[in-house]
Amino acid sequence: MAFIDLVQEKIVRIPLVSTDKAGVLRELVQILKDAGEIEDYDAVFTAIREREEKLSTGLESGIAVPHGKSAAVSKLKLALGIAPQGIDFASIDGQPSRLFFMLVAPPNQSGPHVEALAEIVKLVQSKAFCRALTGARDAREVVELIRGE
Amino acid sequence: MSTPKKILVYVDGTEPSITAAQYAICLASFYRADLIALYVVNTKAMEDLLKARIFLQDEQMEYEHDMEADAQRYLNYVNEMALKKGVTIVPQSRRGSVHKEIVDLINEEEVDLLVIGELARIRSRRDEFYDETERAMRMAPCSVLIAKDEDKVWQMYESLV
Repeated sequence: MAFIDLVQEKIVRIPLVSTDKAGVLRELVQILKDAGEIEDYDAVFTAIREREEKLSTGLESGIAVPHGKSAAVSKLKLALGIAPQGIDFASIDGQPSRLFFMLVAPPNQSGPHVEALAEIVKLVQSKAFCRALTGARDAREVVELIRGE
Repeated sequence: MSTPKKILVYVDGTEPSITAAQYAICLASFYRADLIALYVVNTKAMEDLLKARIFLQDEQMEYEHDMEADAQRYLNYVNEMALKKGVTIVPQSRRGSVHKEIVDLINEEEVDLLVIGELARIRSRRDEFYDETERAMRMAPCSVLIAKDEDKVWQMYESLV
């Protein structure tokens, strides 16, 4: 499944209410739970947290891509959170993160997981596009921006 | 008009690619053509993720290992589907950039028909978005068949003696 097919209003939250890294991770997993995309919150949260403990997935320019593998999902899942105010996510450049793309994949679907991550990397190369996402009014606008509509 | 002598089906483990494999098996049977099934471990994407610092080195190796296992599993699955219908498949697993490996194999093996699964349902108009199968479709030097309607294809596959 292509990244674009994963983007739906129900898995987008803007703005995130959390103010720290641990809170953001919990809130992103909760988005999936609230959207009916996962059942086992704890298993998914543990997978994401354990990967994050190895090294932060906070990249440059306000982007963070927390991800992990968990048998609690049967196919690739995406949650997208936006924090216009910025949150300290221990990013590479030390700057606050604003766009959070969280991916969870089942252990036996590494191919789609890798391709979705690669698509996110391409997507966020445009600083103008990232600014537009950060300034979006609501989830609908975020989805429209990503689909290029 | 000549019929296809050598058919290549690209398999990536998705449902559309399995439908493509069923269609390709039917075509290979009808035309008595050679059939190659290809899975590409997308090492190019993994290298990009390592450069972008999304992947750690050991994480990259772990995913690569997982994808090699996926390749074997899906190729075995397609091979079993073909054998049930008396069709022989030559399975090929390659590593690299997906569209490039597909095109290279077409040229190396002188494939005259590429069969792929249905492309992603929702498409972005943003230039940044493209998928590897679509790129292969555009760059393939031979004819390309896109298998659609999994129920009809399944019926055709099932009715194959």
